[in-house]
Amino acid sequence: MNYIVEVENVWKRFPMRRERPGFKEFIVNLPRFIKRDENSNFWALKDLSFKVKEGECLGIVGKNGAGKSTLLSLILGTIYPTRGNIKVSQKVTPLLELGAGFHPDLTGRENILINGVLLGLTKGEVTKRMEEIAAFSEIGEFIDMPVRTYSTGMYLRLAFAIAINTDPQLLLIDDILAVGDETFQQKSREALIRLIKGGATTILVSHNLAAIREMCDKAIWLVEGKIGAEGEPERVVEEYVRHTG
Amino acid sequence: MALMNSEFRRKIDLLLLLTKKEITLKYKRTVLGVIWSLLNPVLFALVLFIAFKIFMRIQMENYIFFFLSALFPWNWFSASITVATGTLIGNVHLIKKVRFPRHFLILSTIIAQLVNLLFALPIIVGFSYFYGEGPGISWLLAVPILIVIQFIVTMGICMAISMVNAYFRDMEYIIGIAVTMLFWVTPIIYPLNMVPKAYRIYLIFNPLTHLITAWRDIFMSNSIDWGDIGISFGISMIFFFLGILVFKRLGKRLDEVL
Repeated sequence: MNYIVEVENVWKRFPMRRERPGFKEFIVNLPRFIKRDENSNFWALKDLSFKVKEGECLGIVGKNGAGKSTLLSLILGTIYPTRGNIKVSQKVTPLLELGAGFHPDLTGRENILINGVLLGLTKGEVTKRMEEIAAFSEIGEFIDMPVRTYSTGMYLRLAFAIAINTDPQLLLIDDILAVGDETFQQKSREALIRLIKGGATTILVSHNLAAIREMCDKAIWLVEGKIGAEGEPERVVEEYVRHTG
Repeated sequence: MALMNSEFRRKIDLLLLLTKKEITLKYKRTVLGVIWSLLNPVLFALVLFIAFKIFMRIQMENYIFFFLSALFPWNWFSASITVATGTLIGNVHLIKKVRFPRHFLILSTIIAQLVNLLFALPIIVGFSYFYGEGPGISWLLAVPILIVIQFIVTMGICMAISMVNAYFRDMEYIIGIAVTMLFWVTPIIYPLNMVPKAYRIYLIFNPLTHLITAWRDIFMSNSIDWGDIGISFGISMIFFFLGILVFKRLGKRLDEVL
């Protein structure tokens, strides 16, 4: 069995800088800035290790601030571990913040093109899927309007439609299962399940414990940057609920 | 192999789309749109003519042509620097939430600014016909080479300052002043040989001195000075590698400061 994601002894530190120092403080505290105070760091992840197999769906649960989003960003590769190694051997499709690359002044179509290419397709491939994406997002003739004229729901629906139509191989999902209205939520959940069952490797961060139980093959409970429990989603979720009350 | 090709194809597509986005957004919601890129240098030439030829009556021969042949390439440089300083900061969302080569943002900025230079070329060609012998075949060789050299040096500087600006936001203000200062110590409004010998040596440290001189040589007299071109290429490579170094080094912790 192939491992798609291998996380080995990963540590991630964020500097806990207070507001940027003014010039005066900067000069006065110069020695301390140069020495870099170890105590002013925040360790978001502490010696984390796990692996994800091809086609597996891994659920991650944990309280706010437990390091879940940091972990996803590390796997995505937009941030780097302070220590340790992360190996990812497939194209990553992030569903972290929907519509991150959208520009308000560009039309739906223009944004689909740029976003599709950012998410791993060629321009030709995106063009071929343009109508499919437009149809899935249900935004109708607004597709040729600047995105700034969209409602929040339309914006998210378009972003979701693009992401889901880029042949994801490794999906990173950060609690975005609630997109749009009832009907669209149903539709997007079905599309996601189809992808997951269809063999896309998935890492799903969610506070929706039912979704974790239903969709995942394995789960991890993160507590302050460490693994609290790992294994069967049913058992991990149970443990998480027991400890958080 | 097929995978390699499609990945390469995708990178090219991404760069082109980002550049197109840059250009589209620049003129979005304007009436004249990209015509501004042509109108701008034309109006500028007109104003220069009024100021230097009618009011100041500068004695130098073909002064407006002399000025513009250095000014248009300079404008490409200074506009790229000014825009690129804020490029990484301005694309926080993209940088934090999508994985793609970050230097593409800077590449696309510089390419988008190049469009202005290309639109200004017809004006240079017009001057060349009017005051000189008209563009020669040597242009076809020199203009692309000079564009490439200037691209390399601009890319190096932009990568460095855009990245440093994320950590140290005072950079933006420093750059504003530095660009103005650089304008006056580069032989743009005056020829290099007007500078007293004792000071000329210092202009050598200016990465743009030889480049601008080379632009002027080709535009005004259809001549290629391989010495100038060689030196500016050497300097541009130094800046390029320094830029890459800074970009890579500081790039690792970019997420912490954005």
